[in-house]
Amino acid sequence: MPFFTRRHLLAATALVTLTPHVPTAQAALGMPWSPNEAYPPTGARPGPWLYFTADEAATVEAIVDRLIPADELSPGGRDAGCAVFIDRQLTGPFGSHEWLYMQGPFSANPLPSQGIQSPYTPRQQYRLGLAALAEYCRGQFGGKTFPQLAPADQDRVLTGLEKGDIHLSGYNGVELFSAILANTMEGFFADPIYGGNKDMCGWKLVGFPGTRYDYRDVIANPNRPYTLPPISIQGRPDWNRNAG
Amino acid sequence: MSEKPSSILFAPGKRRGALRRVLLGGALMLGICQADAAPDNFTSIERGRVLTTAGDCTGCHTTVNGQSMAGGLALETPFGRIVTPNITPDDETGIGRWSEAEFTRAMQFGIRRDGAHLYPAFPYPNYTRVTRQDISDIYAYLRTVPPATNVVDRDTLPFPFNIRAAMAGWNLLFFTPGEFRPEAGRSEVYNRGAYLVEGLGHCGTCHTPRNLLGADSTRQTFEGGNLLSWFAPNITGDTRRGIGGWSVQEIVEYLKTGRNARSAASGPMAEVVMDSTSRMNEADLTAIATYLKERGAPNGTAAPAPAPAPLAASDASMRAGMAIYTDTCMACHTGGGGGIDLIFPRLAGSALVQQDDPTTLLRIVISGAQSAATDLAPTGPAMPALGWRLSDRQVADVLTFIRNSWGNAAPAVTEDQSRRMRATVAPQ
Repeated sequence: MPFFTRRHLLAATALVTLTPHVPTAQAALGMPWSPNEAYPPTGARPGPWLYFTADEAATVEAIVDRLIPADELSPGGRDAGCAVFIDRQLTGPFGSHEWLYMQGPFSANPLPSQGIQSPYTPRQQYRLGLAALAEYCRGQFGGKTFPQLAPADQDRVLTGLEKGDIHLSGYNGVELFSAILANTMEGFFADPIYGGNKDMCGWKLVGFPGTRYDYRDVIANPNRPYTLPPISIQGRPDWNRNAG
Repeated sequence: MSEKPSSILFAPGKRRGALRRVLLGGALMLGICQADAAPDNFTSIERGRVLTTAGDCTGCHTTVNGQSMAGGLALETPFGRIVTPNITPDDETGIGRWSEAEFTRAMQFGIRRDGAHLYPAFPYPNYTRVTRQDISDIYAYLRTVPPATNVVDRDTLPFPFNIRAAMAGWNLLFFTPGEFRPEAGRSEVYNRGAYLVEGLGHCGTCHTPRNLLGADSTRQTFEGGNLLSWFAPNITGDTRRGIGGWSVQEIVEYLKTGRNARSAASGPMAEVVMDSTSRMNEADLTAIATYLKERGAPNGTAAPAPAPAPLAASDASMRAGMAIYTDTCMACHTGGGGGIDLIFPRLAGSALVQQDDPTTLLRIVISGAQSAATDLAPTGPAMPALGWRLSDRQVADVLTFIRNSWGNAAPAVTEDQSRRMRATVAPQ
């Protein structure tokens, strides 16, 4: 006797077809929703440096403060927390290039469309690049470290790195400069919960409204100044009774 | 959602039985089955189905993924947990062996088939008002529900509440048996509404505060009650906290669709709307609304309590609350608290917002909430949880702000109330 008869098949088919489908109200209607559902971003941990050594941190803080010097419009890169932002990013998935294909070959002369060609993860880039920069400064400035240089000398070094005029031993200075510049801007304008943009100083500088998403009242009043203060994922100081 | 009988063949409860026989006996048997499935008391069953919907029996007697009326839902009461019984016609684990007289006695007097007392979590103080005919029809309908084998532990209350006989004393104090008597001089619609609200609808079970022994506090009928960390709001004629400002049509729309221009049902009321009122007919909903509107001022008080003065906008909590509202709430509920009709509830002038007890508001801000989704309003808009972003004090302050802005006035919410709600609904 066959294991699976025609009768079985017909009965099974009938069962599937005829079994009353009794959807629950929840399944049939309404948007998916569950209580307490939230996906809050992971903020930067406060405290000491997590990746940088003390010397590396001092160098990065000096660099970000030359890239964004303090003036009447905003605090400098250091006080804005840009070095902290970079340190915390390097400890996370960005620091290990978790999102990037990291096997060779790496082109020495890539087309622009070929993207990042460094065999180093950002963690390695900072470690190797800062070590090469420290060696360069020691040799050129009588044993001084980058943070010990006068601001004008710091600017000369940074300009030389940017233009490719300065050749570090063992690391591409242009790549080092462009990485720090990009990460500094990210730190200055990213949400404050990631460690930079302290007190939303970057947003106040450029007039970015932050995490607001409804502008109907504003759009209804053209040519009037926008007066709402910026708002971060964490809120803003006015949320607390004792603010100001 | 499912059981709308369009023909005798598909009368609820007979579908599965009929189907089994079709499969066993083959297509030839179909005609016989049809005859077999056709009850001679169809009208009674159909009336019973409508009444069972009006009573929202399924609200307590069906679990989320459980078989209809098979019980097993745990009700958290101040006295402990009560698990609802299986009321399908299963002989062993349901009420299959109950006679109609025994069922009627349970509905009218809260006495089980074996003579033991039922707890008034089963609202027999309301069901005693139901007419003999209606109870008979409900019984007829429940006989047609597919029998489910589901053993339920019916003795979960701790000492001394596990002594069911003690309910005899409770009944002496708080229970007045007897069928509903129409009020002379009132319209037929009003009396129909009173019959539904006071009887099967058992609205007061949630909307009337309970005394220390769990009985309706009759001097505060419909003034709002706290249950399961929700607050069932005031449904008296109070214009600020109740539904005094709602028209009959607005109440009907709320019950039928789950929302109107003023408010949206969420929490336990969303379940009531989805399982019960959205499936009731317009005439009965109009009767309910008419009764609630016409039954007069809040019980025992000649005039509603005067509204408190709102907190000054310069108050520290109001200022913090306004900042939080601007950044967190305004995009949906709009700057003036007007909301968006039929999607985002209006906060200005909202009765729910101005309840003395802010339980529901705390819960919605901390955990979020979803409105009822019905055939006529299938979206079921939801509010996201904000507990992850707001501290206890910030939750309290934003609620204090919405309770005292745009003409609203209600007691301030405290950080402590917020902390306790978070511990209940969003434990870390």
